[in-house]
Amino acid sequence: MSNIAIRTEGLTKRYGSMAAVENLDLTVNRDEIYGFLGPNGAGKSTTIGILMDYIRPTNGHVRILGRNPQTDVVDVHDRLGILPDRYSLYDDLTARRHLEFVIDTKRVSDTPETLLDRVGLGDAVDQSVATFSQGMEQRLALAMALVGEPELLILDEPFTGLDPHGVRTVREIVHEESKRGAAVFFSSHVLGQVELVCDRIGILYEGRLVAEGSIEDLRTETGVGPDGTVEEMFVSVTDSSAGVEGTTEANR
Amino acid sequence: MRWSPLARKEARTVATSKGVWLLAILLVLWGYRPSYVGWDGLSTNITAGYVQVAGTVLLPLGVLLLSYQSVVGERTSGSVKFVLGLPLTRTDVLLGKVVGRTAGIAGPVSVAFLVIAGVGLINHGVFDPLLFLGTVMVTVLYIGVLVSMAVSISAVVSRTVTAAGAVFAGIFLPLVLFWTNISTTVFTQVTGVPVNPFEPPPSGLLFFLLRLSPAGAYHVVSNWLLGVGNSTNMYSHVLTKLQPQTSTNAYVVEATFPPGTVPVYLHEAIGLLVLFAWLVVPLGFARYHFTRGDAV
Repeated sequence: MSNIAIRTEGLTKRYGSMAAVENLDLTVNRDEIYGFLGPNGAGKSTTIGILMDYIRPTNGHVRILGRNPQTDVVDVHDRLGILPDRYSLYDDLTARRHLEFVIDTKRVSDTPETLLDRVGLGDAVDQSVATFSQGMEQRLALAMALVGEPELLILDEPFTGLDPHGVRTVREIVHEESKRGAAVFFSSHVLGQVELVCDRIGILYEGRLVAEGSIEDLRTETGVGPDGTVEEMFVSVTDSSAGVEGTTEANR
Repeated sequence: MRWSPLARKEARTVATSKGVWLLAILLVLWGYRPSYVGWDGLSTNITAGYVQVAGTVLLPLGVLLLSYQSVVGERTSGSVKFVLGLPLTRTDVLLGKVVGRTAGIAGPVSVAFLVIAGVGLINHGVFDPLLFLGTVMVTVLYIGVLVSMAVSISAVVSRTVTAAGAVFAGIFLPLVLFWTNISTTVFTQVTGVPVNPFEPPPSGLLFFLLRLSPAGAYHVVSNWLLGVGNSTNMYSHVLTKLQPQTSTNAYVVEATFPPGTVPVYLHEAIGLLVLFAWLVVPLGFARYHFTRGDAV
């Protein structure tokens, strides 16, 4: 079994003449927590959409857990969990029904209570989602991603709408899942959290990967100094297009 | 089936909605239509005829309204990201939607038919239960056809309002409400033969055109079960047409073709084939489109 959870080669998605993602080469290993960063509109959700086969690339190749997410969608999705961005839940269903839907489709024997306990929603099992706050919805969506002990977790902006407790819960769950052996790929623009969670980060800017590596590597590469924060690196690589090209070259 | 949980969720969502129960109530009120001609023709089995009345106009409208959002609604809200994130192909998603919605609508509608059965039993007496059940089953097939057509449209458009417009202007108006006018106009354009609805020409083509719509085929098959005559019109209309010395604008094979001259392709069983075609062909096109390109 290959050690690679996600690999894209030359991935490009164009809408008309506008490229949302351009020539993206990405490798995420099975033993790492990979933070996929970038400003709004950089193409993060488009990339995740392609990884999930929600949308189809204009060019390039994708392998998820060694398989083609387009042709082997059932096998791939059996083995991964997804927390999408800009989703909506089913207002007429309870939290339990949401989880049962995922559990039954994945044919696993998880219990909704256990999953909801993990995300701190143990007391809302039979509550209708229509009454949920944004943070509760986000916790439920995370619980849905955890169903079936996935080999790969794809979390699109997992900190959205969460209070500090929720943010910590996500962080803890990401670490737990990583310890269990799952690869975690998440996108975020909440940069402070990224440092605390990620083994490796990649920064996407205008559809291109402009920097990639461990936080230490990137401190050196971007020249922000040993105490530089992810925010400083982020600004340094997404500010000037000259710097962008330089970093891309340095990365290869 | 991998899509069974999706179908169950879909069925539950529809069956617990207010809309489908409102439809069920209206179907009872709309369907229960005692008539002398119906009683003369069917006696106590007029109760099974009520099912067909309920299946005319109101049922198709209700089913289409309850189905047109099924896919595009999830695409615009974003909940489709959960469904497509599950181990399901996009074809699975379409099948789960069609089967689930059909079940979710057929349940409450069957309750409405049970109420009609009870009212008929009390007011008219004991009817043939198999005939009644058969009529209900053909009507459930018709529901499945309409759901499949609406889901197909829902899967290929990108806006809810487009789906509503397409279902109304592409299915309800031409294929349910105005199919008779459309087919007689087409027939006259093609052959040059005018059609007087009171004395239609004994043309196989004309009568075949009339039964190509899902509504026409549904009436042919349910009239076949009821044994009233080979026609795309409502059973009571068919009975009226076949009465001596009456004139009405129904298209009834027995009233137009001399015995022994009826083309084989006007056999009622063809109506079943037409229904099956409407069940699978639009869905096939929708599948072709939906499995290619972007789903969100």
